Amino acid sequence: MNVKSLVKRNYKKQPEIDFPDYKSSIFRAPKNKKISIPSNLEIFGPIFNKKTIGELDNDLTLNFSKNKNSPLGHKIIVHGTVSDQFSNPIKGALIEIWQANAAGKYLHQDDKNPAPIDPNFSGCGRSLTSSDGSYEFLTIQPGPYPYPNRGIEWRPMHIHFSIFGESFGQRLITQMYFEGDPLINICPMVNSIADEKAKKSLVGKLDTSRSNIQNILAYKFDIVLRGVKQTFFENRQEGL
Amino acid sequence: MKNSRNILDETPFQTAGPFLHIGCMPNKIKINNLYKNDLGEVPFKNKNEIEMITVEGSVFDGNGIALDDVMLETWQCDENGQFFEDNGFARFIPDKSTKKFKLLTVKPGQVENLDGKNQSPHICLSISSRGLNMTLNTRIYFEGDDLINDPILSMIKNDKVNIDSLVAKKIKKNVYVFDVFLQGDKETVFFDM
Repeated sequence: MNVKSLVKRNYKKQPEIDFPDYKSSIFRAPKNKKISIPSNLEIFGPIFNKKTIGELDNDLTLNFSKNKNSPLGHKIIVHGTVSDQFSNPIKGALIEIWQANAAGKYLHQDDKNPAPIDPNFSGCGRSLTSSDGSYEFLTIQPGPYPYPNRGIEWRPMHIHFSIFGESFGQRLITQMYFEGDPLINICPMVNSIADEKAKKSLVGKLDTSRSNIQNILAYKFDIVLRGVKQTFFENRQEGL
Repeated sequence: MKNSRNILDETPFQTAGPFLHIGCMPNKIKINNLYKNDLGEVPFKNKNEIEMITVEGSVFDGNGIALDDVMLETWQCDENGQFFEDNGFARFIPDKSTKKFKLLTVKPGQVENLDGKNQSPHICLSISSRGLNMTLNTRIYFEGDDLINDPILSMIKNDKVNIDSLVAKKIKKNVYVFDVFLQGDKETVFFDM
């Protein structure tokens, strides 16, 4: 019989879990090696219904605005595709994003950065990918902000992404950075990834053609989830 | 060097950070007029509460402090071992004051492994937070079930792994405790799957 399984994760292309330059990891990162198990059951996963997604959920410039007032800052389009490692587009993938406002402040009681809240901006959005795996958000350019790490350090401008593909084992939480931001290369969270190409894959590219058509700066960020492969499995008594 | 099978690299993880609630459960932090409901508020709709179990616990860091800024996500089959697309997923955070999380769900049934052997009932659990550069994955098994014949547990039992950390302790009828230890002597087993 044919069974589906997930491509084994390549940890050389992933961040180091135990990375003391990122201070919060010191007492949180597990010290033991992960135990490898077959992924055949995590091949299933929740699928999210179109009906749960509201019309403005992917428009952060309007989904929290009062009386249609725009949030402060300049508008940006963030778009791209979600595919698996075999370049198959993933349809119906749930993307949830969250970000700081233009002043670098999150709408969150735990954010101690003394920057102003924007009453018209929540920094929260979500969307399901179309049949070709594409997604799009309209939002505001997030500001960089200081945070306590080894003393005060600065986060590069970024948007947090949470993605559900078709399998629970494809689950991904990451961040998109912005092309040209000088803070990227000195960010310990970015530098927890040793592989240069992997690091670069988190940088959204300025999409000039799109920016010129719509009069809004556009960034392209393509996301790759683990591949789902079909393998033949002989169902014998002795198993594997 | 070109990958011989020409497959793309998976996008790397980054930490979910301390403000993940904004994107994943805005209603929980009083961003109320955006989404009608947070996703995964209940794992199964239309189930009788009397037949459900509670799994409660805390997530401890290396200093033994119970965390309240972690997000937990669970994925499981129903009581008959059946997976559904629109049921079986839950998302929750520990309570700000008690630092305990609570999952009200159905006790999962058995699911077949690739080789036709039954896997003992379990719930897949993922944990994301500030300080975790990648989401962690583990499993919740249940005290009182046959755990000896589970293919995954028997596969890993020789690796000197802390199998106890994968088993929720039964404290009374339909109530289990499952604490997660990110570090230390009791460090929970996390999976690469």
